[in-house]
Amino acid sequence: MSGPVSGLVSRLRRRYSLKETVLAVLFLAPSIAVFVAFFYRPFLNLAYWGTFEARQQGAVQESVGLAQYREQLASDDFREGLWHSVQFVLYTVPAGLILGVLLAVAAHRRLKGIKVFQAIFSSTLASSVAVTSVIFFLLLNPEVGVARVDWLNDPDMAMFAVAIPSIWQNLGLSFVIVLAGLQAVPDEVLEAATLDGYGPVRRLLRVTLPLISPVLMFLVVVLVIFGLQAFAQIDILTEGDPAGATETMVFKINRLNRPDNIGIGAVYSVGLFAVTLVVTALQFVLLERRVHYGD
Amino acid sequence: MATDELRLPGEEVVVELGEVGAAPAPVGQSSARRTASLVGQYALLVALAAIVLLPLFYTLIQALSPPFSYLGQGQPPHPVDVSWKDRTWFTGGAFSVVARTALVAFALAWVQLRAGGGTVRRPRALAAPRRLAAVVLGVVAVAGLTSALFRALFERSPNTSWWWFAAVVGVTATQLVGLVERGRRLWASLVLAALTGVATVAIVTITVGAEVWTRAWDDGDLGAPLVRSLTITVLITVAQVVTSVLAAYAFAFLRFPAKGLVFAFFMGTLLLPLEVTLLGNVQTIRDLGWINSNQALVLPFAATAFGTFLIRQGFRGLPSEIHDATKLDGYGHLDFLWRFAVPLTRPVIASFTVISAIGAWNQYLWPQAVIDDTEFQTAQIRLRSIVGTEIANANEGIAAALIVAVPVAIVLVAFQRQIIRGLTAGAVKG
Repeated sequence: MSGPVSGLVSRLRRRYSLKETVLAVLFLAPSIAVFVAFFYRPFLNLAYWGTFEARQQGAVQESVGLAQYREQLASDDFREGLWHSVQFVLYTVPAGLILGVLLAVAAHRRLKGIKVFQAIFSSTLASSVAVTSVIFFLLLNPEVGVARVDWLNDPDMAMFAVAIPSIWQNLGLSFVIVLAGLQAVPDEVLEAATLDGYGPVRRLLRVTLPLISPVLMFLVVVLVIFGLQAFAQIDILTEGDPAGATETMVFKINRLNRPDNIGIGAVYSVGLFAVTLVVTALQFVLLERRVHYGD
Repeated sequence: MATDELRLPGEEVVVELGEVGAAPAPVGQSSARRTASLVGQYALLVALAAIVLLPLFYTLIQALSPPFSYLGQGQPPHPVDVSWKDRTWFTGGAFSVVARTALVAFALAWVQLRAGGGTVRRPRALAAPRRLAAVVLGVVAVAGLTSALFRALFERSPNTSWWWFAAVVGVTATQLVGLVERGRRLWASLVLAALTGVATVAIVTITVGAEVWTRAWDDGDLGAPLVRSLTITVLITVAQVVTSVLAAYAFAFLRFPAKGLVFAFFMGTLLLPLEVTLLGNVQTIRDLGWINSNQALVLPFAATAFGTFLIRQGFRGLPSEIHDATKLDGYGHLDFLWRFAVPLTRPVIASFTVISAIGAWNQYLWPQAVIDDTEFQTAQIRLRSIVGTEIANANEGIAAALIVAVPVAIVLVAFQRQIIRGLTAGAVKG
């Protein structure tokens, strides 16, 4: 009866020393405890709570199975939040990519004092989302702001207005990442392209950018995930207004942060997880292809 | 070689001026074209830098403006009608006087050190008597002349610009003492000294002389939130570094069953960002009765897969001979970890430490979800309540935001290389 078990044990004994295994358990235990308590367990809880619907103002929780998932993920409110998040991503990611490349190409050269410009271009790294939002809260203010526009209260412009601080704040990160990519491009490649009669613009578009495309893809992944997680800008600048025009996914989830009605919030959280997962997976598939293409 | 050492803020202006103004009639077409291209490149860089810095510049002006004057007028007044403090360099508590004097001394010493070809790690160059004299005299000039400048600003004296000019000239002259030396052209020393003088006096005047900072600090009650933020930043950073180093060591150097599975378990957490698990975590904190507590702010961030991955990569980069050799010498795993693995991967661990600290300091979503008592507010959360009050006091709100950003700005300047290495670790291999 104990044959196969003791066989397995002796095989494990031969391959692993008990001392090292115990040490590994001790070293990994703190991290595993945190991951179980604050990553996996709350997520599984949410997935489970999503099957309960609140009745009588949350006094009673009734198990409804997957019905609440079907209902809430198809609801206008959820789709609206998703669309707002996508809008935010569409405003911030292309801008971040283009401006990052522009700044990095401008600052990737051998000139006296170039370090000063590199420091200035990366300086927005020092700003937090809250600090940036406060700064732009004033710049975008209709009375005292810089452009005297009332975008934050205009349902058509509010989402763009909320994205502006993030575009500015992401400059530093985009610049630093693209510059690192440019610095990894060997000089010989560019010299060879020059000898082949490529001008600076053609060299950039045909040689440099394809070579650093994995880095650009990495940047896109990071920026998209940042965009999907946007919260502080909205909390500080508009609180979701005007008329819910800036309520993104995370904003809606945070608003549902009440114990009596956690079921819907749980469904939204699982929905956000699914969206993030799909986006990340998609981007890594594309990334793989680009890397091979780059070779 | 000597000119290569001299790389200081503002030097590019020198080059530009030199190339444009000092060039006698271009010898050949290629030289003229090179000059034009150089001017074009610097013009582009300056324009981009201006665009990046414009929001900050405008914000600083707004912060210094008094609250009501720009509400009434169409545009914020330029030059700004700032409220200045009734003070001298020596006003205020002993601590703040010593602190600001030390900061000025440090900044001037840094300029002299870099100009003398030294670095922070090799401060030998500073030991020259002339450079030391320049630092000491510079501090004296700043303390004495800005005191007069503060007085003039506060009294709205017509002589204010003269005092400003005197302060700049005074600091410039003292810096020249250390900067003029054989092997460097006189105009280069002059420009460098003048830039140092202008920058020092301008920064000192704005940070020490203007009233808005203390008003924002007092009205926004920033002291306690900043201490709270600092506390949780230190706790989170220490916890993350320790747990990540230990876990990374297990993955890199220990043999144990199901290693691949455990590693996948770690990396799986990257798919569960705080935004997804927020409601579940808040519920956990509620159940534990930890709403408004330090442990609620720290414990969920006590371990990270990103840090484990980064440091594991660092450990894997160590030559395996080191591990084998220490094994033969009878070192156990703990000895190897603390005496060899950690010291040898210090750059990676330093990068992760800095990134982790900045992330902890900048948190917003989690603190606002588990803190509803102002006593436990972090600095970032406090900003929201300051701004939310009234647009009429907007200048104080912005001043508070700039104050909250200062610690990160200092860290960014001091650890730029580590931060960039950490941020780009995933982007570029090697």
